[in-house]
Amino acid sequence: MTEHTTRMGDGRVVRMSSEKIRAELETGTKEAADKAKIPELNGNELETLYEIVTNPSRIVGVEMGREAVMSADAGGFSLFMDSGSSGLGLPIERSLALGAITEKVLGIDIIQESEPDASFKAMKPISPYLMVVCQNILQSTISPLMHISMPNLGYFYKPDGPWDEPIGLLRDGKFDAAKASMEGAVQQCTESIVYVATHLATIGIDGINIDTIGAAGDPDFYSALLATEAIKKQNPELSIEFGMATESVHGFHAQLKYNGTRLAGLWPHQQVKLAEKAGADIFGPVINTKSQNSFSWNLARAVTFTKQCVKDSSIPVHVNMGMGVGGVPMFETPPVDAVTRANKAMIEVAGVDGV
Amino acid sequence: MISLSELDNLYKAILSQDVEGAEIAAKACVAASVDPIQAMNTASEAIKKIGDLFDRAEIFLPEVIVSAEAMKKASAVLLKDIPKEMQKKKAKFIIGTVEGDVHDIGKGIVATMLDAEGFDVIDLGRDVATSKFVEAVRAHNPAFVGLSALMTVTATTQGAVIKALKDAGLRDTVKVMVGGGATTEFHAEEIGADGWGADALDAVTKAKSFL
Repeated sequence: MTEHTTRMGDGRVVRMSSEKIRAELETGTKEAADKAKIPELNGNELETLYEIVTNPSRIVGVEMGREAVMSADAGGFSLFMDSGSSGLGLPIERSLALGAITEKVLGIDIIQESEPDASFKAMKPISPYLMVVCQNILQSTISPLMHISMPNLGYFYKPDGPWDEPIGLLRDGKFDAAKASMEGAVQQCTESIVYVATHLATIGIDGINIDTIGAAGDPDFYSALLATEAIKKQNPELSIEFGMATESVHGFHAQLKYNGTRLAGLWPHQQVKLAEKAGADIFGPVINTKSQNSFSWNLARAVTFTKQCVKDSSIPVHVNMGMGVGGVPMFETPPVDAVTRANKAMIEVAGVDGV
Repeated sequence: MISLSELDNLYKAILSQDVEGAEIAAKACVAASVDPIQAMNTASEAIKKIGDLFDRAEIFLPEVIVSAEAMKKASAVLLKDIPKEMQKKKAKFIIGTVEGDVHDIGKGIVATMLDAEGFDVIDLGRDVATSKFVEAVRAHNPAFVGLSALMTVTATTQGAVIKALKDAGLRDTVKVMVGGGATTEFHAEEIGADGWGADALDAVTKAKSFL
C-alpha cells in the first residue's frame, strides 16, 4: 500500500494511504455539496486534487500561464511587527514595508495598506493620517493600492459602542430590542466605512478592501453591502473588494434582506451575487478549515464551494488563503507544503482569478 | 403505553419554535399518561435536530433561542411527573472569553446551545480576568468551565486559566473545555484541557459526553 506524507487541518503531519486520501477527497466534496446544495467535484477534478496532494515535492506551483493575481492582506506587517509568536520585527519603516517592499521584493500584485486595529470605526478618526500613509505608498509603487479594514460590527455594541449587545438581548428573549440594536449598529458601521473610503478616494487610492465581512453575522454583511452601494454611488472609479469572514452568513438578526434576498444562511456562490449587485469589483470568499479533518478533506471541500462561487460570479474572485481558510491548515504559521498545494488547487481546479 | 401523536406534537412544537404549543403538547403527554422520561427524550431529540439545522445554516440563532424556550416550557410540565431521584441534575457550565479577547459572538452561540440542551449556564462575558474564572469556579462549583479565544495571542491565556485552577487546587473539580477560532484539538491537548469544541454543536456534544 502506497503511503504519502500529508497533514491534518491543524497542520499535524500524518502518513496516509492513497486510498484514504481519495476517500477523504470524496467525503470533503460531498460535505460541501450537501451543505450548500451545489454539485460535487467530478472524477477528473478529484484526480487533479489527488495529484496535487500526493505530489512528492515539498512545494508545488501552478502551471505556466495559469498564474493568478496575488494580494497579501497587509502582509507587509509581518516584516516589522512581532506578536511574540509570529512576525519578524525588523526595523523597517511601515509604509516602506507595506508598499515598496511588498511590491518590489515580495512581488505582490495588489498592495493592501492597513493599521493594527483594522476596523473602519477605528480608522475614521485617523483618516487624515491614513491619507498621508497611502499617498506615500502611492508615490513609491506602481501596483494598485487598497486600504483594508473590517466592518467589525461588534465595535458598535456596548461597551465599545452605543448599542446594546444583541446576543444577550436575544438570549433574554428581547428579540425586537436585539433587532433594533443590530439595525442601529448597521447604520453607524456603514457610515464609518463610507467616511474612510471617501477620504481615501480624494488622494487617489485605487480601492477599498472591506474584509472579514459577516464576522458579526447578517447585520455585518448587510452593512458591507450598503457601504459598497454608497461608495460606488459617490466614487464609481474606486474599486471595492468584498472579502468575507465565514463560509455561510450567520443569522443573528435573521430577517435582514438585500434586494429581496434573505442574508442569513447564504453560501459563497449566493453571497457573490449580492456583492455584485451592491457594486463590488472583486469578491473574496472564505471557506473555513475544519482543523480535526484532514488536509485532503478540507481542500476538496474548499475547492467545491469556491468552484461554484467562481462559476456563478461575474466579477473576479480572489479567494482567501490563510491560516484556517481555503483548505490551509489552522496553524499560525501555515506549512508551506499545504499552502502551495491549496493555492494550486484553487487556481487550477476552482478557477479563481486571484488569491 | 406509547402515544405517538402526543410525542409527535411535542417534537414538532419544539422544532417549529412554538413555545405555547410545546407546553400544550407536554400537558397532553401528561394527560395521556405518556412516560415522562420518554417525553423528555423526545424533546431532547427535537433540540438535537435544531442543533443539526443550525449547523447546516438552515435555521439561525433567534430560532434556536425560541426552540430552547419551548423546550424549557415543556420540561417544566414533564419534570413534575418525574420523581426527584430520577431527574437528571442540570450541569452547571461557567463560560467566558479569556482576558485580552473581546470576541464573544462565538461564545454567545455556545452558551445559547448549552442552554437549549438544559445546562445551567453562567456567562462571565468577555475579556474575563483569569482570577475571575478561578473565583467563579470556587463560588459556583460547576461541572464545567468553558474558555473561548478567537485569537492566537489569547489562546495561550486558556492555558493560563487551567494553570491558575491547578494552583488554586480546583482543577480536579471541574472539566475544562476550550474553543474559539484560533484553537484546535492539538492546542487543547497541549494546554491540558479536558475537551475542545470545533463549533457550538460539537462543544455541546462533547460536554454531554462527560455527563
